[in-house]
Amino acid sequence: MYPRWLWPAFAVPGVLWLILLFLVPFYAVIGVAFGGVDPIFMNAVPNWSPTDWQFDSIVTTLKGFLPGNQYWSVMIRTTVYVAIALAGSLLLGYPVAYYISRHAKKTKGILLALVVLPFWVSYMMRMLAWVNLFSPNGFINKFLVWSHIMTTPPDWLNGNPGSVVLGLIYGYIPYLILPLLAALDRIDRSVLEAARDLGASPASAFYHVTLPLSKPGILGASVIIALPMFGDYYTPNIVSGSPKTSMLGNQIDIFFHGGPQPSVGAALTLILSMFLAVLMAYYMVTIAKAQKELQA
Amino acid sequence: MSGGEIELINLNKLFGPMRAVDNISLHIPGGEFFSMLGSSGCGKTTTLRMIAGFEQPSSGHIVLDGVDMTETPPHKRHVNTVFQNYALFPHLNVFDNVAFGLRRQRETPDNVNRRVGEALELVQLTGFEKRKPSQMSGGQQQRVALARALVLKPAVLLLDEPLGALDARLRKQLQVELKTLQQQVGITFVYVTHDQEEALTMSDRIAVMSNGRIEQVAPPEEIYEAPATVFVADFLGVSNLMDAVASGADNVGRCKVKVGSFEFYAGRGSADISGSTKVTIRPERVRLEAKGTSGENRIPGVVQRWVYLGNAVQLIIGLATGAKIQALVQNTGEEIPYDEGSDVTVHLPATALRVLTDTGVPLASAAN
Amino acid sequence: MSAITERGAVPGHFAEPTLGTKLRRLIANPWGHPRGLVIITWLYVVISIVPVVVAIQFSFNAGRSVTAWQGFDLTKWYFGDPAYSVWADPRLQHAFWQSMKLAGLDMVIATPLGVMLAIGLARWRGALANASNFIMLFPLVTPELMMGVSLFLVFLYIFKFIQPGTTAQVLGHVTFSLSYVVVIVRGRLFSIGKSYEEAAADLGATPWESLRLVLLPLLLPAVFSSLMMVFAISIDDFVISQWLSCGSACDTVPIRVYSSTRGAPLPSVNALAALMVYMTLSAIGIAWLVMRFSNRGERKAEGARGGMVQTMGGFDM
Repeated sequence: MYPRWLWPAFAVPGVLWLILLFLVPFYAVIGVAFGGVDPIFMNAVPNWSPTDWQFDSIVTTLKGFLPGNQYWSVMIRTTVYVAIALAGSLLLGYPVAYYISRHAKKTKGILLALVVLPFWVSYMMRMLAWVNLFSPNGFINKFLVWSHIMTTPPDWLNGNPGSVVLGLIYGYIPYLILPLLAALDRIDRSVLEAARDLGASPASAFYHVTLPLSKPGILGASVIIALPMFGDYYTPNIVSGSPKTSMLGNQIDIFFHGGPQPSVGAALTLILSMFLAVLMAYYMVTIAKAQKELQA
Repeated sequence: MSGGEIELINLNKLFGPMRAVDNISLHIPGGEFFSMLGSSGCGKTTTLRMIAGFEQPSSGHIVLDGVDMTETPPHKRHVNTVFQNYALFPHLNVFDNVAFGLRRQRETPDNVNRRVGEALELVQLTGFEKRKPSQMSGGQQQRVALARALVLKPAVLLLDEPLGALDARLRKQLQVELKTLQQQVGITFVYVTHDQEEALTMSDRIAVMSNGRIEQVAPPEEIYEAPATVFVADFLGVSNLMDAVASGADNVGRCKVKVGSFEFYAGRGSADISGSTKVTIRPERVRLEAKGTSGENRIPGVVQRWVYLGNAVQLIIGLATGAKIQALVQNTGEEIPYDEGSDVTVHLPATALRVLTDTGVPLASAAN
Repeated sequence: MSAITERGAVPGHFAEPTLGTKLRRLIANPWGHPRGLVIITWLYVVISIVPVVVAIQFSFNAGRSVTAWQGFDLTKWYFGDPAYSVWADPRLQHAFWQSMKLAGLDMVIATPLGVMLAIGLARWRGALANASNFIMLFPLVTPELMMGVSLFLVFLYIFKFIQPGTTAQVLGHVTFSLSYVVVIVRGRLFSIGKSYEEAAADLGATPWESLRLVLLPLLLPAVFSSLMMVFAISIDDFVISQWLSCGSACDTVPIRVYSSTRGAPLPSVNALAALMVYMTLSAIGIAWLVMRFSNRGERKAEGARGGMVQTMGGFDM
């Protein structure tokens, strides 16, 4: 019906664009990471051919991740922040997603709209709002003093790791709830009813049926927010501003913008991507699978 | 308008390793209502799509009125299709839908108006021009799809299970309408369905298909009364198939068979065969007689189930050979003297008992 | 509140459960009891929305504080104040227009490119097609920091003729927007199916006519939604814009807001951020309405909410 070459022809411009502006840049990172450093100007001299690649920069950087060395604490801190933020997001987000998808009847539409809303509010706006509330004269402190819970409330926005974690949760939880909701929505109601019919108590039905069936959804949603969290540098900067709470993203940021050492920055980026590669692969496989299902 | 005669020559279609259409050859004369009947996956829809041009045959030829159109793209073929889900353009109203093909032919607006009006009149949908497909019922949408195809006066109309999405009553009504329409317009209809009743009611000839092959091509009565293969016998109605061993013909041209330890004479099908085979008889030809009745082609049995169908009674009977057959007794108002559990004598009249060849291959003759 | 599947229906038994029963149920399954869930859900909704509402409220503050309410002034920080409002402050105004410029160019480039890519990928088969699909999915799973770093380096060392600046920012925006357009349009393509185009060809339309007269009109709602989507994500982008920035002349609204939060921000920053919120929500609202309105005729799908949840959840799974 249509000539064979039509579809590739349609796709080629977009693919070309992505190759030039997505894949090639990744190669630039590799070239710089395995490149040398100009001794005079201290800029990076990228090595494009694999035969010229120098591995000392990346080896030195990798060594920095060993316990006790300079990146060890950042890595631990980042992982801990992300883990706690993820756990917190799930603890708050799962019940919300669960309620909306399985229980809310008349209010489902409104709740859905309200939950989707923050998704579309700019991340910066939400951080701004957060900072305004938690600033020394902000609403939170005023409330704490007024209600006599504390007389001198802490400075939330200065090197407070708790603020960073809470900020991460606040910032990313909408990106968790939506896919989680979508996944929970897909669980067949009749399966749960069958469990009840066969004698399971509400708790048992939840534990033995709903929870296992929502595992892929939980996993998927977790990956969706864990990935950007690992690369986050702006949240600690906004909510804390102190090197005490800096994450891996901050390190990379510093190496490019602080005292430029692009090859170290590139090496760090490469290492980070290796670390995240498993998550990214999982994410990609799930999307591809979902698209195949749509096609069938 | 020319004949609408279709010839399929050695048509094959492979999807990867899967042979969807296996060496099909057919000749459909102009003006015939021709059905392809079979269950899903038998290749009937693929064959239809090849005639329409949406699938390219892996090998073989499709000839329309003497012109080989195997290489012709679908928009240049003089055939039109009524799709299973109608495929009415949702963004166009009824008029624009029906006018679509005419406009592709660059017809003048006056002609378009006239011909669309005629087509809508033909399907009894005058006045629906401004409606959108979503505002119409399934039956109405189907008629628009018909009008849209017929307005182009194709040589052949292809219909892909067009009544599948409709409820039973509407389906029966539309079956009659479609048949009338076809006779009125006089063009060839190639109709694909899995519903044997539909095929029997509407067609001039039926091709029963299975696994990409044609099992039998014949008019409806022949398909039903004289099925050529086990598949055809089983597909249309109840076949009461039984294993049997044939031993050649008797002196009046009937085939001698043994079902279990019982001797039968089969008056239909090839008499001149031997070896293992199958026999079949339609439920409405099975005769039930009192227990112990003697005579040719009789076998004891027990009534196992009794199902009241309204216009008839269906009895499942277990034969002395162990086989189960179905008998259908018309409701004549008289009482049927057998209950569940009754012993009966089952009479399978030789004139109704048929010997079947398996999958179209005749068995060795008794002479060998 | 009937949650029959969890509690179990006992016909005719309408006596109010006693306090003891309620407590027992709550303890037995705190996650499962609807009442607890209701509280958590509404609490979450309040916590997540109220701060933003407050921030927007303070954009209408009569005074200069972002924490102390000093009265309502509708226009002061938007265009009233001659020195510090969004309109008057050159950095703020420029940031606004920069964001608009990037979003506009992004829409105009990414949407057609993405629509074509979506159609091509949906119907192309083979190993090359799979590889292309993989490449298309890649940006969706990549953390923005990695994209920012790589783009920064590529303009520094390979495509040296492009300096960090507006052009680089646009190129970066289009790169991450493409995949979103593809996902949206592809979803719509699947629900359209190929039967309409086959019908068109059957009726005599050439391949080109089929595309133009049948496929494209049916795709229009998805194209429109893509436009709005690209607008929204471009406006909200921070990381890529920052890494490809040329300095304050290339600042977008998110960058401006970011720089201002740690200083002593004026409500004008709130106003600037609020403007973006208004525009994004309008864009998404329009897109939703268009999708809802156009789908109504076609298929008896689930309600628009179901569609929306699945569409957005569909970016991930």
